[in-house]
Amino acid sequence: MAIDRSRTAVPQGAHRAAHGGHAAQGGRSRNRAQLTNQLTQTLPELDVEATRAQLGQPVITFDHVTKIYPAQPNKPALSDVSLQIYAGEFLFLVGHSGSGKSTFIKLLTREIKATQGHIYVADEELSSMRNWRVPYLRRNIGCVFQDFKLLPSKTVFENVAFALEVIGKSKHVVKTQVPEVLRLVGLQEKFGKLPDQLSGGEQQRVSIARAIVNRPPLLICDEPTGNLDPQTSRGIMDLLERINRTGTTVLVATHDREMVDNMRRRVIALERGHLTRDQDRGVYGFDV
Amino acid sequence: MSSIGYFFKESLQGFARNLSTALGSIITIFLSLLIIGVFFVAGSMLNNLMTSVESEVTITAYVADDAPEEDIQKVMSDISGMGDVAQVSFTTKEQALENFSNSMTSNPEIIEQLDGTNPLPASIDIELRDPQSVESVAAAVESNGDYVKISEDPEDPGDSIKYGQGTVERLFQLTNYIRYIGIALIVLLIFIALVFINNTIRLAILARRKEIAIMRLVGASNGFIRGPFLMEGALHALIGSVLAVIVIQLLRMFALPQLENAIRFLDFSVPDMTYVMIYAGLIVAGIIIGLIGSAIAMRRYLKV
Repeated sequence: MAIDRSRTAVPQGAHRAAHGGHAAQGGRSRNRAQLTNQLTQTLPELDVEATRAQLGQPVITFDHVTKIYPAQPNKPALSDVSLQIYAGEFLFLVGHSGSGKSTFIKLLTREIKATQGHIYVADEELSSMRNWRVPYLRRNIGCVFQDFKLLPSKTVFENVAFALEVIGKSKHVVKTQVPEVLRLVGLQEKFGKLPDQLSGGEQQRVSIARAIVNRPPLLICDEPTGNLDPQTSRGIMDLLERINRTGTTVLVATHDREMVDNMRRRVIALERGHLTRDQDRGVYGFDV
Repeated sequence: MSSIGYFFKESLQGFARNLSTALGSIITIFLSLLIIGVFFVAGSMLNNLMTSVESEVTITAYVADDAPEEDIQKVMSDISGMGDVAQVSFTTKEQALENFSNSMTSNPEIIEQLDGTNPLPASIDIELRDPQSVESVAAAVESNGDYVKISEDPEDPGDSIKYGQGTVERLFQLTNYIRYIGIALIVLLIFIALVFINNTIRLAILARRKEIAIMRLVGASNGFIRGPFLMEGALHALIGSVLAVIVIQLLRMFALPQLENAIRFLDFSVPDMTYVMIYAGLIVAGIIIGLIGSAIAMRRYLKV
């Protein structure tokens, strides 16, 4: 069922351009894929807007990835998932609870290893990666979570500075980069506050600041707005879009139907471990 | 080098921010090492005491009144040639009587009843290098042919050799038991202390697992995560062991004289060197326990 972008013989940009234009209803069937293939041969590089983001190599490649947890040997958490993510993309990862979203993210940060298949992040294969290299992988991936994961005993400034200090950055870098990133997320007035003294939206901004202070090329957000009201969520998504516009690839796992439908970005849908949909400018698509 | 500075700063901050858990592990380390230290000091006192009691054990080999002088000389040189013998001396009949009357000053009538006769025999006195070998030395003297000739009764020379048979064996049995029990207790205490200290450090780290999770999340290397925790563990252990040393020294300065006053007939003195060794041992052991305990407790949080 999965749409395998890597197997098409046509130039990547052309394929995606055509695909982007036609797949809005959820190109699930083989017929649709074949039709798309035919179309790409006749319509090379139409959509300039869609190709802009796809210049260069894919930053993330899932190549027939299967993950089976030892506790549930008969029920793969991810089953034969193949997809590519390009530099500068903004994409949503949607699916019900237990569909494999968290597994997908944990595989990317190498908290767990794939049972079968290969995952490449910036040309490096994750399952064969040495353990001591993993911290360096994670320095290239910013992570934001539903529960913020801030240290309650440290101030806003210290929480963000912590991310730089523990990877051995100098005081000078900390002093220049932290205020800059806090201004970017709109917290220039709150440097000295403790996380408890902030609202939920502000706390999430701190955690986003911490995730991007090291300027990682990839930002992964796991339900970033899960604990926030719609208006605050909107602000957070605007911020993520702004970050995306600076060239950072942003992957957002979410349940927020309204957000996905409004933003019309690439949507990857998982259902019981299978990749069921991969469409540009997609919608949430599940009945809630 | 900047990371060492960072570890140090972080460990001091960790100390201030987690004051209650830090105090908990310091107190645990302090009490464990204090008990072990007190046991070591008490053990050395007991050992000294037992050694001084044991060294009182000597062999007295009585000599017949008519034994020729040269035979006695020969036996004495034979005995001093034996491996475990420290010193050999001769007590004449007159000296024996004098020693006896000196020890009987409270009952002078016993001496008077002797009516000027001297029933006490002359003797060869043997001091031992290792008191535990008293039996074998006594046996060797008994089987010495020259001694048999000059003993009070050549038919039964063993009867002339006295070293508190029976009592001495029981004394040595007792002191050996006490030594073994002491060693076993100290080993047990060290084990208990290790378990306690490891557990406390584990709790202290558990309280900060969130911090560790975030450090891993943002890509801190394992060495960088471990650094401040190991330094903190070592710092706690250092403070705990120094406290233990201070308290033992205070006990030595103030409580020991009281004890010596109360029980005058026992000798509680231990060489200064022993104290220095115990103190150094406690501090070194404390730091090692702190480091190893932290490293073990950290291990499960550092799996990738």
